Amino acid sequence: MADNPYPNSPYDIRSDLSSAHEAALAGIARPGTWLTGEQRVWIAEEVRNARNCPACAELKKALSPDHLSLEHTSLGNLTPAEVEIVHRVVTDPGRLSERWCRGHIDDGMLEGEFVEMIGVIAVTMIMDTFAFGLGLPVAVLPEPAAGEPSRYLPPGARREAAWLPIVEPGDEVPEDGPLYATPTAGYIQRALSMVPQSKRDYWNLAGAHYLEGGQVYDFGNSARAISRPQIEIIAARTSALHQCLY
Amino acid sequence: MLRESSNAADNEIDLHDITEGYRHDTDIEHAELLMGFAEAVARRDENGTSAHRQKMLELMGEPATVDAAAIAAAFHGFVRLADAIGIPYEGAAGGTDSTELRDEIGISDFYRAQNA
Repeated sequence: MADNPYPNSPYDIRSDLSSAHEAALAGIARPGTWLTGEQRVWIAEEVRNARNCPACAELKKALSPDHLSLEHTSLGNLTPAEVEIVHRVVTDPGRLSERWCRGHIDDGMLEGEFVEMIGVIAVTMIMDTFAFGLGLPVAVLPEPAAGEPSRYLPPGARREAAWLPIVEPGDEVPEDGPLYATPTAGYIQRALSMVPQSKRDYWNLAGAHYLEGGQVYDFGNSARAISRPQIEIIAARTSALHQCLY
Repeated sequence: MLRESSNAADNEIDLHDITEGYRHDTDIEHAELLMGFAEAVARRDENGTSAHRQKMLELMGEPATVDAAAIAAAFHGFVRLADAIGIPYEGAAGGTDSTELRDEIGISDFYRAQNA
C-alpha cells in the first residue's frame, strides 16, 4: 500500500477516503490485465501533463475536434495513439465519439488495453480533482511494480450495448472475480467490466467518493456530511459542464 | 438522481439550473455555493475554487467541504468512463430518468451533438 497521499493536508480526510486513495495509487503501479505497471504509471503521468497541452487547448476551442490535426505535447513515454486517448479523455470528454473510439481499435489497439487505459485515466482524474478541490498538491505516484499483465479476457464480454465490450450482469463467471452486487447494476457500473480488476479498482475509489453501491438508490438518506440533494446538485452540475448525463 | 433525492427530501429545484447555471431559488441548502464550487473545479479555476472552498468551510464546516470536493471529483471520473466507453444512458438513475425530462432540460442535446 502507498503512504498517506496527502501528508500535509490541513483537512481531516475521512479514513475510508484516504485508504481508497492509498489503494488507488498502489493499484496504478501494479501490473494490470493488459498493461504493465510502468505503462499504467506513464498513463497517470500523462493525465497530469495533458492539462497543459497547447494542442488540447486548440482542439477544445475548435467547432469539431475531428477536423484538426495537431500534435499533442506529451512526456514521450506513450505511443501517439495512447497520448491521443489520454489527452482527449482528460481535456474534451464530452465530444468523444464511437468513430473515434473504434478507430483506435481498428488501428490495432486491443479493446482490453483501451478499457484499462480509461480506468487508469478515470482513477487519476478523481484523485487529482479531489486534491485540486481542496487546494492540495497531487499525490506522488509510486514506482511501478514489476510483473506481466495477466491478459485475462472474461468469456462473457461482448460488444453490444456500448462502444466496447462489457460483461452484462448474469454473464460473469467465477474466474472474473466479483463484478456485480446486483443484477440491476446500471451501465455506469458495467462500463469497465471487460477488465474486471480495473472495474474493481475504479469502484473502490469512486464508491468512497460518492456513495457505496447499496446507498446509491437510497434517496432519502445520505452517508456523507452533506445531504443527498446537495450531493446530487454537485454531481449534476459537474456532469452537465462535461456535457454528460451521468 | 437529483430529482429523486430532491423529491425524497421534499426540496424543490428547477432542473434547468443544472444545464444553465444557478438562477432560481431552491430550498436545497447552500445550492448556489455548491454549484459554484463544482463549476470552479470543473474549469480548474484556482482562485474561484479557493474562494468557494473558504466559504464552504465557514458556512458548512470541514467534513462537508471535504465531501463536496470528493463528490465533485467522483464525477470527473464518472463522466470520462461514460463518454469514453460509450455506454448508453438508458437506465441511468436506476431507470428513473425519462426521455421527456432529458429533452426538457437540454441533456439530449449533448447526445445529439455527440452522435452528429
